[in-house]
Amino acid sequence: MKSVIYNAFSQKEAKEFDVQHTGAQRAEAFVRAFLKRSMPHMSQQVREDLLQRKAVVLEYFTHRKQKEKKKKSRGLSAKQRRELRLFDIKPEQQRYSLFLPLHELWKQYIRDLCNGLKPDTQPQMIQAKLLKADLHGAIVSVTKSKCPSYVGVTGILLQETKHVFKIITKEDRLKVIPKLNCVFTVEIDGFISYIYGSKFQLRSSERSAKKFKAKGTIDL
Amino acid sequence: MATLCRLREVPRHLLVCEKSNFGHDKSRHRHIVETHYYNYRVSFLIPECGILSKELKDLVMAFGPYYSVKDLPLHELITHEFINTFVKKGSCSALTYNANIDEDNAAALLPNGKLILSLDKDTYEETGLQGRPSRYSGRKIMKFIVSIDLMDLSFHPASKKYERVSWAFKEKKPLRFDFLLAWHQTGAEESTLMSYFSSYRIQEHRPKIAVSSVADLQCPVLRSSELGGQPDTACSALELFDWLGAVFSHAELNNEPDSFLSSYCCPQPSTVVARASLCTVTGFILPEKICLLLEQLCRYFDEPKLAPWVTLAVQGFADSPVSWRENEHGFRRGGEHLYNFVIFNNRDYWLHMAVGADDDCPP
Repeated sequence: MKSVIYNAFSQKEAKEFDVQHTGAQRAEAFVRAFLKRSMPHMSQQVREDLLQRKAVVLEYFTHRKQKEKKKKSRGLSAKQRRELRLFDIKPEQQRYSLFLPLHELWKQYIRDLCNGLKPDTQPQMIQAKLLKADLHGAIVSVTKSKCPSYVGVTGILLQETKHVFKIITKEDRLKVIPKLNCVFTVEIDGFISYIYGSKFQLRSSERSAKKFKAKGTIDL
Repeated sequence: MATLCRLREVPRHLLVCEKSNFGHDKSRHRHIVETHYYNYRVSFLIPECGILSKELKDLVMAFGPYYSVKDLPLHELITHEFINTFVKKGSCSALTYNANIDEDNAAALLPNGKLILSLDKDTYEETGLQGRPSRYSGRKIMKFIVSIDLMDLSFHPASKKYERVSWAFKEKKPLRFDFLLAWHQTGAEESTLMSYFSSYRIQEHRPKIAVSSVADLQCPVLRSSELGGQPDTACSALELFDWLGAVFSHAELNNEPDSFLSSYCCPQPSTVVARASLCTVTGFILPEKICLLLEQLCRYFDEPKLAPWVTLAVQGFADSPVSWRENEHGFRRGGEHLYNFVIFNNRDYWLHMAVGADDDCPP
């Protein structure tokens, strides 16, 4: 294709059109000037290097191009999640007897966690493990509360959210107990532990990573 | 600054003085006597009287027995058997003793069938019964009052309310107290408190009676129609109240300048009475008996007597949760709640009612 566009002049044509063959040096100077005008941001040295086709060190830019933001899914807000009703338990499924196997499973899990619950195990160890353990399926009961009507509610724990325990009682009623200002009792194989709900206001998933400090009073 | 002002405040007392006549229809003397449930000490003073009359003595001796039970669990007081046997027939009252009202838990069973519990914060949170905070608590509420109506419970034996109360007292938080019990029966019943609580350490007591005769007592001159007193002719009700206190505590009234203990002197104008009898009964005394005593003292003036007036003073227990009816009572400085009748020979009477700081106004 180049041959079509560019063709060498023959001597005769050159004489005819009165085109003078520029000298080699003049040609070179012309090329240099042309390049300088086209690429003004490059320095002389860089242009020379380019022409000589030296190996060029690839530059690295000190400020990167902004990476394109990954378009991740925003997730659902709490309102949308509640509307989805994923975590609701339907009334026909609210039966205490249905959740007893869950309780057995939980007991087994705790026993494994504490490497077998012997009567002489130290309570501190069990408490430390319980702090990080998952409590779904445990039988909890409210021992102390600022509101007297919550006291005495006992049942299997079905859901634990940031501020609330959802418990199903023996009479097949789903009770929602706020954690704030309540003391819960969890019993496993003769070891009774008291959970102070005011300090426990975390989602169960975040609780496993949190270090608990003894701050403030345990007075309700 | 606020703390300093608060510290400088003196806990208030309230003294209510009334005058009326026993013959009036609307006279409230019976109501006052009958609604003051827990009476610890009854004293009466009769000037110009050497020996007590026979009727008075018999009446005082017949102040029935009262019982003390140690370590009685609270659920015993809400069993249907107890309610049907004692609370419904007659008037049964019970009060915890050895329990300071402002520190520990206290309980009281009123004759009208209400059980009042005065609980501290931790006990209230653990027991799980609905109550209300006490009115004299301050910023941080430390005391709660739970009121259970036993008559209401007995009408519906298997109701949820009864189940809850019974569960709370038996399993959740079993409370045990030392009680003082007394029962005024209205029928000829066989059962007594002794036999009912025979499985607990129950003891019978009789009220202690002390009769003394005071010689050469300076008494103030009173006029029944002038409650506030007149400058030279009669003393006021306040002065009389102070003087009575001095007499009952056997203080010297001669205002000696070198007396260390007391420089109180009898309010003027006063007369000197040759002899006066002073009788004090101490124990757990029922209001019905005090009614009888009041009527007997009214009848004292049926025959003409030298004495211008007689007085009857009744003091309540310092640690009772209620003063009159169901008004709350607290200890604060002295825990006093008392009333005093001054009976004149024309059937007029003066009534003083005094309460301490943590108390509602008397009715």
